[in-house]
Amino acid sequence: MIEINALYKHFGKQREIVAVNGIALTAPNAQITGLLGPNGAGKTTLLRMLSTALLPDSGSARIVGFDIVTQRADVRKNIGVLSDMRGLYPRLTAVENIMYFGALYGLTKKQSATRLAFLLETLEMTELAHRRTEGFSQGERMKVAIARALIHDPPVIMLDEPTNGLDVMSVRSLRAFLRLLRDQGKCIVFSSHVMSEVASLCDTIAIINHGRLVAQGTNKDFLDRTQAQSLEDAFFTILENDEFARGNA
Amino acid sequence: MSHHFSLRHAGIIFRKECLDAFRDRRTLLMIILPALLIGPLFLMLIFNLIATHGEKAQSPELAVQGAAYAPALIDFLKKQQVRIKPLPDDYEAQIKHGLLDAALVIPEHFHDDVASGKKAEVQFIYDRSRDRAQTTIGQIERLLHVYNQQWGQTRLLLRGVAPEVAAPLSIRAINLATPQQSGALLLSLVAFYALFATLTGGMALALDTSAGERERQSLQPLLITPARPLEIVIGKWLTAGMVNMIVVLLTLIGFYLTLRFAPLPAVGLPFLFSMNELLRFCCVLLPLTLLLPALHFYVGIRGRSVREAQASTSILLLLFSLLPVMQMFMQQREPEWIVVVPIAGHYSMLSHALRGDVFSYADIFIAHAVPMLLLFLTLWACAQCLDRETRQP
Repeated sequence: MIEINALYKHFGKQREIVAVNGIALTAPNAQITGLLGPNGAGKTTLLRMLSTALLPDSGSARIVGFDIVTQRADVRKNIGVLSDMRGLYPRLTAVENIMYFGALYGLTKKQSATRLAFLLETLEMTELAHRRTEGFSQGERMKVAIARALIHDPPVIMLDEPTNGLDVMSVRSLRAFLRLLRDQGKCIVFSSHVMSEVASLCDTIAIINHGRLVAQGTNKDFLDRTQAQSLEDAFFTILENDEFARGNA
Repeated sequence: MSHHFSLRHAGIIFRKECLDAFRDRRTLLMIILPALLIGPLFLMLIFNLIATHGEKAQSPELAVQGAAYAPALIDFLKKQQVRIKPLPDDYEAQIKHGLLDAALVIPEHFHDDVASGKKAEVQFIYDRSRDRAQTTIGQIERLLHVYNQQWGQTRLLLRGVAPEVAAPLSIRAINLATPQQSGALLLSLVAFYALFATLTGGMALALDTSAGERERQSLQPLLITPARPLEIVIGKWLTAGMVNMIVVLLTLIGFYLTLRFAPLPAVGLPFLFSMNELLRFCCVLLPLTLLLPALHFYVGIRGRSVREAQASTSILLLLFSLLPVMQMFMQQREPEWIVVVPIAGHYSMLSHALRGDVFSYADIFIAHAVPMLLLFLTLWACAQCLDRETRQP
């Protein structure tokens, strides 16, 4: 469970760029929460703060009850993160990359081996397992990065644009995987700018624009509210209304 | 943070970095190869030196007739490293053809002449036009002159006259091109390369595991694992430190094997590099071997990319290489406080070790304490830097 309470983050020398502007949001367990927004909306910054890679200027957030500022060590144990920075070690094999993180999360050899077998199977990457990641395609690297992030079976999972660079087959298997994790009771947050992705997968959608949460609800909520045919149309209507409101303000 | 330092995390990171480094064979080879080559390279250098100074270093050869008539003179010449051999019958022809450098003929009546107070005559035969014989001729001439002087001085002394009366001018020749001087240059080179190895051995690895990690975008995922910044720093520093230690050790062993077992002619090296010196070198270099990778690591963390970090370390490299060179050219005796300055002090200690001087415990303590203090500070600063990474505004 993630409880976000009015998080703020500014960048720039005079802190003139507002990246996250008071977002408050709750992502419950056993649900997939989608962060939808245009480029530069603040999705990545929000996820980086939640994953303790970045300190917020003000506001707070709790992950499984632990504060992201004062209890970072506890937060870190309970999250699995695929951030925008997802570099692998090119000279290590896929398995070595994954097992390294398993060891850092304090798993025993046996624990990580069991979990590894599950991840390799579910992410359909058994053939990649013992190859060095040097020559991997973007999709293959993504799979390794996801497996690495989830090796310790965390209750909270945050994925920043996880379908980038994946082919249709891989996207389908990733979707199935995320549903499986949701059914296991995990709290899953993922950001995307691909409408169909969010529409088909997410239980709750949070639309973010200019660092603010402009709308939250299910796919159906949005369609009803905007009388649109698709999430894409609904998204644009909501964003237009938001820009209009900002212009008036 | 609420958790204590975990050696386990540092160990995991150390093992992973070792595996990573071992997989990068090409880089590893580039690190280790120079360490292996420096010894044999030295050998070549020394041989080159011999070629330049060879003639001067060789003892001159002199063909003598009637050596038995002037045993004191022959003794004197032998003590001055002159090789005495009997005079061949056709010596004049041999000298003319350059087969013989010079010859000395002592007449049968030499002893009688001396006893009766006459001037005793010897014949010194040579060919001035022979270039190769010049050195020998000059040397023998000088030796005969010296002998003559010494003999005369002894006589004056026996008569109660100070030798200065007969020889008011005293000339002491100092030849700067002697093998001893070149040997001193070699000495500073051995110390310098040993020192340089501590700087370069762990550099590539320290930069790759810091700036490289950032450049590959794998630093942030690592930082949000339960491993704490200090644990990450220790694990990575240990890897670079270990590789550095191996490189330094290989360099020293290379020196040891070359200077000890290679068939080097006597070139007048004023030092030895035996097991004793090897161990003393290790003792002096150990703290630097640990400190310098930490400094590189710090530079690597501060740099945004490997390239930027490399540019910064090149300044460190320059500073480093200038210090001993400056010392090498410094004419006066080095000041006492030099031992406190890392690198410069260590360089001075290495030179002392080669000369066979004894270290005081205080010197050894300072040579270790100062770099160790810096090491702790550097590691702490590295950890702060990594921590700021996830805390920066």
